[in-house]
Amino acid sequence: METVIETRALTKKFGARAAVDGVDLHVPAGVAFGFLGPNGAGKTTMIRTLLGLTKPTSGEVSLLGLPQPAKRREALARVGAIVEEPRFHPHLTGRENLWIVAAARDRAAEARIPEALERVGLAQRADDRVKTYSLGMRQRLGIARCLLADPALLILDEPMNGLDPAGILEMRHLIRAFVDEGRTVFLSSHLLDEVEKTCDQIAIIDRGRVIVQGAVSEIAATGDPTVLLAVDDAEAAHRVLSSEARITQVEVEGKELRVTLSGDLSSAELNRALVTAGVAVSRLEPARATLEEKFLAITSRLEGNE
Amino acid sequence: MRLVQAEMLKLVRRRGTMIWCALLTIGCVVIADSVLLSLHAANAAKHGPAGGAENLKHLVFILGGLGNVAAILLGAAAGSQDVSAGVFRDLVVTGRPRRTLFNVRVPGALAVFLPLLGVAYGIAVGGAYAFSGSLPQPTAATVGHYAAYLVALTGIDIVLAIGLAAFASSRIVVGVLIAWNAIIAQLLIQIHSLGSARKYIDVAAAEHFLPAGIDTNAITMTTATALAVLVAWAAIFMAVGRFWTNRRDA
Repeated sequence: METVIETRALTKKFGARAAVDGVDLHVPAGVAFGFLGPNGAGKTTMIRTLLGLTKPTSGEVSLLGLPQPAKRREALARVGAIVEEPRFHPHLTGRENLWIVAAARDRAAEARIPEALERVGLAQRADDRVKTYSLGMRQRLGIARCLLADPALLILDEPMNGLDPAGILEMRHLIRAFVDEGRTVFLSSHLLDEVEKTCDQIAIIDRGRVIVQGAVSEIAATGDPTVLLAVDDAEAAHRVLSSEARITQVEVEGKELRVTLSGDLSSAELNRALVTAGVAVSRLEPARATLEEKFLAITSRLEGNE
Repeated sequence: MRLVQAEMLKLVRRRGTMIWCALLTIGCVVIADSVLLSLHAANAAKHGPAGGAENLKHLVFILGGLGNVAAILLGAAAGSQDVSAGVFRDLVVTGRPRRTLFNVRVPGALAVFLPLLGVAYGIAVGGAYAFSGSLPQPTAATVGHYAAYLVALTGIDIVLAIGLAAFASSRIVVGVLIAWNAIIAQLLIQIHSLGSARKYIDVAAAEHFLPAGIDTNAITMTTATALAVLVAWAAIFMAVGRFWTNRRDA
């Protein structure tokens, strides 16, 4: 699979502090790629470094297969980006703001303005001054500005920030539509749920380091399987399960139990053990590991290592 | 060319700045001419005609002083607006070199300012001929000298303001340049012990273009020297502004 963003040992230091610390990142083409991390993890600095807004301290960056900064102009001609919140000249209209950026791109960019405004649903408000726009409208105008490049790669920094639920849903649909068109969307976020719903692949960054990267489903599925049980006697069930060596953890919540199994113990064996011990099992289901749990597990593990 | 047009659009849509610039250029000439006409109409024996070469000289000095403020306001806005609006980084990620994004501010600002100055000066010159009455009219050479003086004086300040605005806020730029033009440069020009070093002051170089015989503290220098001084000032401020624009995080 073609790689649209590739970094090798990318580092950006502010004084002695490394905001991005030796990051090796590989973003394949044609996916929505989530760049996930808590506030202050280095997401925005990473994006700014990728785009050449700030110079890296060391390391290599390649965008769309073109080394940076040597082939900066060629690469950025096919990249649309929103860095931090989308900003505009407030005294100009939405259309004029797009025209300002189109003037800095090739001539075809100017011709894309009406289509871009239509695409993000701002055609009716395009001739109003941006200072009258809501945050959601500015986010959409930011996306329209990205589309002027007919981008192969969109880099969106926290695109869901400040949006209401309808706006978030709309943004998610837009991002998926871009991916369906064959574009790559690289989005940073601290909203785990949204990344899980929107992205195909993720990288988790914390304290400037990429901890894990890969497909969302694979990362969420790593670790020991967990099952949820509903039983008639939780205490008896807890006694039975605690004596089983292949069970790593049992948590009791009322009449329900959350049981973490080691790799070779199946749910069926667990059920049989309980029934044999006289515990009636009314429900047994695998717990779906969420990205949030993985994310918290990874970041809390790091905190524990400090 | 499209980048220059974009710069012009950003400036002409700044309603407050444009109103002030129009008032400080066209407005001041219209008001001054109106006052002279009214005085002459009220008491022709005491107040002479509103036109003529002498009144044109006064209008040119008014236009030089206030038009200079307008030039500084516009230059400071042109130099700082992308960064202060947070849009500069969006222009940088188009792949355009930062030096290009910086350089286009000068023709953009000049293209907005010079028409205002031209209209204002046109009104002043038109009034000087139309309302001269018995007074001597300005010669074509005088009109040309005044035009060159106004363009030099205000044009250099637009460039200086754009250069300074790359690393200082627009308010600081406006304050520093007004203080330089109105106070510091004038004081330096009058310190005779500085001798020929005074010709390296931009204001002194601009005043070289005034017609001969105008009573100022003009420093003697050739036109080539005056041009070289102005170009050097512009080049230094542009180089510093460009350097900072290239160096800073967008």
